[in-house]
Amino acid sequence: MACNGSNCQANCHRDEDERAARSDDVSSTAAVDGSGAVCVKCKANEPIPTAAISRGGEVGRFCADCFRSNLFAKFRHAVTSNAMISPADNVLVAFSGGHASRVALQFVHDMQYKAQKNFDASRDRSLPVFGVGVAFIDESTGYPITSSEMDRVLGDMKLMVSQLSPPTKELHIFPVHSVYSEGSRDSRERLKELLDRVSDATGKEDLLVHLRMLSLQKIASDNGYNRIVLGSCISRFASHVLSATVKGQGYSLPADIQYVDARWGVPLVFPLRDCLAQELSMLCHLDGLKTVELPNVPCSSINSLVSSFVALLQEENPSRECTIVRTAGKLTPFHFNRIPEINDCNVPLATRRRQKRSNLKLNGSISSESCCPICFSPLNKADLGSLETRQSASDVFGAACCSSCQFQILPQDSSDMEQFCSLLPEALFSRAKQSNYYDFGSLREQIQDYLLPDSETDP
Amino acid sequence: MQLTVEFGGGLELLCNSVKIHNINIETPKGAQQLAMRDLLVWVQNNLIKERPEMFIKGDTVRPGVLVLVNDCDWELSGQLDTTLEEKDVVVFISTLHGG
Amino acid sequence: MAESHAKVQKVGGGRLCCICNERRAALKRPKTLEQICRECFFAVFEEEIHQVIVENQLFNPGERIAIGASGGKDSTVLAYVLSELNRRHDYRLDLFLLSVDEGITGYRDDSLETVKRNEIQYGLPLKIVSYKDLYGWTMDEIVKIIGLKNNCTFCGVFRRQALDRGASLLKVDKLVTGHNADDIAETVLLNILRGDIARLSRCTAITTGEDGPIPRCKPFKYTYEKEIVMYAYFKRLDYFSTECIYSPNAYRGFAREFIKDLERIRPRAILDIIKSGENFRIATSTKMPEQGTCERCGYISSQKWCKACVLLEGLNRGLPKLGIGRTRVLDKDQKKDLKQSIGTKSIASKQCGSLDF
Repeated sequence: MACNGSNCQANCHRDEDERAARSDDVSSTAAVDGSGAVCVKCKANEPIPTAAISRGGEVGRFCADCFRSNLFAKFRHAVTSNAMISPADNVLVAFSGGHASRVALQFVHDMQYKAQKNFDASRDRSLPVFGVGVAFIDESTGYPITSSEMDRVLGDMKLMVSQLSPPTKELHIFPVHSVYSEGSRDSRERLKELLDRVSDATGKEDLLVHLRMLSLQKIASDNGYNRIVLGSCISRFASHVLSATVKGQGYSLPADIQYVDARWGVPLVFPLRDCLAQELSMLCHLDGLKTVELPNVPCSSINSLVSSFVALLQEENPSRECTIVRTAGKLTPFHFNRIPEINDCNVPLATRRRQKRSNLKLNGSISSESCCPICFSPLNKADLGSLETRQSASDVFGAACCSSCQFQILPQDSSDMEQFCSLLPEALFSRAKQSNYYDFGSLREQIQDYLLPDSETDP
Repeated sequence: MQLTVEFGGGLELLCNSVKIHNINIETPKGAQQLAMRDLLVWVQNNLIKERPEMFIKGDTVRPGVLVLVNDCDWELSGQLDTTLEEKDVVVFISTLHGG
Repeated sequence: MAESHAKVQKVGGGRLCCICNERRAALKRPKTLEQICRECFFAVFEEEIHQVIVENQLFNPGERIAIGASGGKDSTVLAYVLSELNRRHDYRLDLFLLSVDEGITGYRDDSLETVKRNEIQYGLPLKIVSYKDLYGWTMDEIVKIIGLKNNCTFCGVFRRQALDRGASLLKVDKLVTGHNADDIAETVLLNILRGDIARLSRCTAITTGEDGPIPRCKPFKYTYEKEIVMYAYFKRLDYFSTECIYSPNAYRGFAREFIKDLERIRPRAILDIIKSGENFRIATSTKMPEQGTCERCGYISSQKWCKACVLLEGLNRGLPKLGIGRTRVLDKDQKKDLKQSIGTKSIASKQCGSLDF
């Protein structure tokens, strides 16, 4: 059971009900032993052998075909009910090499392929087919990976993406240190030095995650994409719920765990939010989807402690991850947790209507949040320190950060702050400027000396 | 070397409910001094009679067990690297029991 | 970060307290990572609790306050510190010790001896309410009937009510309990793990039940368990630390273990979890069901009968399963509650109930 029936926000309650209605007898026999059992859905084929299952998920109850279509249905439901992808869109799939983003890529491709077939078959060709690109962020600056290993990874990736056509997809490979403006020299060294200055292991990891997001944004806006698809699955969200709680980010947590996150220039969408990690790796296994293994870096961070805790809980109770995400799903999201309304009359009416419906529940929350300039979490007003007594620009920047970033990323010694700020990518400052609580325009002026010149591509 | 090892906060239940143990322990061969690291191994082998997982996790004490050496928090003296001397008093207290 | 002070330090040589700069440091504070001596520790420990009491206006002059006393470390330290602060800062409170005798031979009778010594040591009047007097059953008798499966459910339900009844017998205005920061952080996590959004929204409140008969508050909300144990140890306070014989492994919960692991790599995580709990954006519509009163005993209840009465009815009619698991007598909410308390044994550190109130 992936979800607890009626409380689940996902579409699975429908399947759940159906199944409950007609599968009582079957599922009980299926649970007892695998031999002679049949798939709970089609009642014809044998379920996937239980030996192949690690833990949890709906894997053991379905045959391979029904399992696949059930998983795809979850994906499609998330996409349509949240208006994630419209025909005119150009979507960028963030691919890390792992199972989850591999499935996201596959499903987006399947969807695009079908749309293309419909387009070719239709007479008037009024509905365009959305475009798809793939992005890989090379983080070898932050992690110890040999260059030959990296070359192998990139080779595999190019081959894999080239096989995902038609329609053809462009692959954007982008080292994470390119978040620095194109004009800046030694960006790799600069990033290294920045990371070296973060003494907390968790802070270093999280800063890299923020920079990765920034990189994705940059690829998307430089190449005309208007959506970024991420493969984060329920297991990932469950870990995030706990790690954000542990870092004191309870206020901003709901911002990070919705289907849509449009606080960035290009909205992020999470169509696999209702899928379990083991379901996704099972699909990769069944369909022979090639993933790209990156060496695992052992780490004693809060994040890895949380992940192993969640894995332990999931083992004890296979619906635990779902429950965690469902609990946090009841927290009030932010105004940016939806695709911005489209009033363009070129967009089909059905799309607009669907969007209205999915946005309805969010109407209660008010806009104008101020966000942490590093992790971009919305800030709790009560948490903000007064800026009036702050002297230097870097102090102002530090005070504008959320308390979690202040603790785990910023230097504890305020005399190191200036140097630290000078190592941050310029994009962080321009992003901070959008957040209107503080006057970041003047902040930028004050710290100009530390900043390297903007590139022409910077809007 | 003579040491006093004391258990509290419920840990004494793991050693037949005896709280205070006066022990005689040798410095490991080749080592100049006895460190807490060595004492933990010795305690686990010689004093803990049941449920060692309540006392040890990995190579150190289970999180939630406080350690004091001569009434000083071992976090101040280098934890496992704390060196011990004749007549030192080592106290282990569990924080996990009761409320 | 933990590795940074791996340099061998000569014990006894010691560093100086970073507050007084005179005496040898005796512990590292988890909250601030300061290294301080015993005397300065006593001072800051007590002062911080005083500040919590003042800032949150926990008490008003002239109030009668019951301290829920189990004989364990938290309530013992709470009784000691509160009577000390009451004198020092002239709170003008009438303090009482309130204990519940569940009737568990070899466990509660021993811990009650500790509380009786505390009565004399701190000069605080003690009231003991027993399950036998209130319900006609001791836990020993209940366990004889129902076995060791759902005993913690009975005990938890009965204890909560027993404390309230004891408090009203003492005619106190408030009940204080020794729940510490680690307990509250654990409760926040457990409520997330169990999907209990209503409890999640209330569990970090320092005062609860203000609409009920007797408000309860937690002066140790921001106090680390480590410091409570250190304080008790350095002050040589007399406390009882044996595990309940009916739930011997209760303190092995996953969540507690996780919190202790977290504390080791980042001590402030405990306060951060509490902070998260306080700041969760929970819509006000997620409220608990309307409170009424139990038709049988008059205790607050959202149902016709309160949970204790349902359980008691089962015991008295020889149907101890009544109120446990799937019975028609229960409505959906109660069923869910019970399912949770039974189904999650291995994640919580104390099923015996005192955590979630």
